[in-house]
Amino acid sequence: MNSPRTTIQRKLVLAIMMTSTTVLVLTGAVLVAREAVSLRSLIHTELSTRAGILAANSTAALAFRNPEDARQVLAALRTDPSVVAAALYDDRNSLFATYPDGAAPPLVPRAPGTPGSVSDKEHLAVYQRVVEGGNRLGLLYIKTDLRELEQGVRDHALVVLCAVLGSIGVAFALSTWLQRGIAGPVRALAEAARNVSERKDYSIRAETKSDDELGVLAGAFNTMLAEIQERDAALRASEGSLRQLNAGLEQRVAVRTAELETSNRELEAFSYSVSHDLRAPLRAIDGFSKALLEDCGEALGETGARHLDRVRTAARQMGLLIDDLLNLARLSRTEMRRGPVDLAAVGKEIADTLTQAQPERQVSFVVPPRLTAEGDSQLLRVVLDNLLRNAWKFTSKKPAARIELGQTGTNGKTVFFVADDGAGFDMAHADLLFAPFQRLHRQSDFEGTGVGLATVQRIIHRHGGRLWAEGAVGTGATFYFTLWENGS
Amino acid sequence: MSLLARPLTARGRLLRCLAPALVLSVLCGHPSAFAADVPAVRRTQEYDLKAVFLYQFAHFVEWPARTFPNQHTPITIGVLGEDPFGDGLDEIVANEAVGGRKLIVRRYRTVDQVDTCHVLFICASEAGRMIPILARLKGRSVLTVGETQDFVAQNGIVGFTVARNRLKLRINLAAADTARLTISSKLLRQAEIVHPQRGQG
Repeated sequence: MNSPRTTIQRKLVLAIMMTSTTVLVLTGAVLVAREAVSLRSLIHTELSTRAGILAANSTAALAFRNPEDARQVLAALRTDPSVVAAALYDDRNSLFATYPDGAAPPLVPRAPGTPGSVSDKEHLAVYQRVVEGGNRLGLLYIKTDLRELEQGVRDHALVVLCAVLGSIGVAFALSTWLQRGIAGPVRALAEAARNVSERKDYSIRAETKSDDELGVLAGAFNTMLAEIQERDAALRASEGSLRQLNAGLEQRVAVRTAELETSNRELEAFSYSVSHDLRAPLRAIDGFSKALLEDCGEALGETGARHLDRVRTAARQMGLLIDDLLNLARLSRTEMRRGPVDLAAVGKEIADTLTQAQPERQVSFVVPPRLTAEGDSQLLRVVLDNLLRNAWKFTSKKPAARIELGQTGTNGKTVFFVADDGAGFDMAHADLLFAPFQRLHRQSDFEGTGVGLATVQRIIHRHGGRLWAEGAVGTGATFYFTLWENGS
Repeated sequence: MSLLARPLTARGRLLRCLAPALVLSVLCGHPSAFAADVPAVRRTQEYDLKAVFLYQFAHFVEWPARTFPNQHTPITIGVLGEDPFGDGLDEIVANEAVGGRKLIVRRYRTVDQVDTCHVLFICASEAGRMIPILARLKGRSVLTVGETQDFVAQNGIVGFTVARNRLKLRINLAAADTARLTISSKLLRQAEIVHPQRGQG
């Protein structure tokens, strides 16, 4: 017999034991109570019968005043030790004969009570009329000890108690044995479920020996497990293929990136060499145009000299364009050297250069004493050079202009800006500002190659920042830029 | 108690209640409440008890049915000779009934006067004529009761004797059989059974 280990086993045994014990104890109590009642009634009946017989036997003794005979009649009670006392009273209600012989009050009542029975805890007494042919001769009193009853009930109770205890024992053994039919499969099921959840092994199956609800449960559990197993396998398979696909994609991206980088480098090398190689013929055109002007100026005439001038201007213009392109190409190739840069100092230098180049212009530069930033000092110099030169250029039509370099803070981030009050631009075309070779103004209004802002944007991007512009036609433009927006 | 519930004359009730006590006081001969006229009182008390016994015989003896012509025929207690009971017997049986039959008392001077009679007390005055009287009654279902010394031996059925200060009974069963009377065994238990020698009386 296994001692109950699992809760369900214990609960089952407990439930069965509670039920059977309650039933047994109640039944036992009812049996004992019934026995007590029936024993008592039996004793009462016996006593009444005996009293009737004695009364019938003692009529003549009373009628003919024969106490001796009465005593003899009563002496028959000797055979029953449970009878404690008996007495006969005559028609005057005085004691006529007693049992045991010579018994006197208070063992027997001095005067009789009314016919019927009287009982207390230990005794039962009966008063019986003594009548002969309707002639009432006296009264018989007989008193019995109830110890016999008590003993009988106690014996019966002991037997019942033994039976109840034995039955409880048998019930315990039976319930312990029978609960296996329920607790066993449940435990096996729980075991299987725990194994599944602990080991994540969906190939485990619960035993389905019984064909009751538990068997159905185990079957359903197994079906569920099978389904999970199937889905798990499918999931694993798709996961594998996904991973494979991912790896393929990554590889393809890497290959493409490498290809792109290669082609980009090739393109840059190509454009660099093209630009570089273009300079030699340009220099030749310019040089020989100049030589032609100097050596054969007179022969060319005024018109010829003017045409030649225009050739030379165009050649210079083209040279500038090539320089810018070379610069732009170089930006991608040069390595960045990061360090602290005082943008204010750089700005002042550039402003000085611009002012010296055109001292006749009235332009006030507003620059703070210090404007610290972090980045490549050469590249940031290119940024400021382009932006300030731009501002210088687009304020050229104003008699007195104002150009400001500074910083503002939005959301705790430093934003640098270069603002002017020059020609400005239409915000509708703001997205074209930073594309190479795109210009918002006519060449005749403002000279330019259209490469400057594209260069600035590329540098800012390399510094992990953003570049944007605000402005309106006629009121000026402000260029904002940030550095290292996502930390370093 | 039970008797008190019945309508009795004062003396009858007193007699029936005191009878057991009288047994001792009468027969022991020691002074009692009635000591003023001891012999007279004692004698009265003795006969009161005998009267009660005569009444009680009616309960313990069965007569043949023919002695009762109809269901209302009373049980007759007769007294033959010089009546020693006075009013005692009448008072005791007054208003009493046995098995639905009333009790009456008849007094006879001679045995020839005895007609329908169930219990017949033959007084001591008749001691000299006892054998002819009993012979006369032979074959009739009459419970003869006497108080003379040889009454039972002379084929009387029930005899009163006094022994050890008590009134006792002697019964001649053969005579009872002859009279076709059935005497209750309970009554027999109270009595001494006498077997007179055959041929006697």
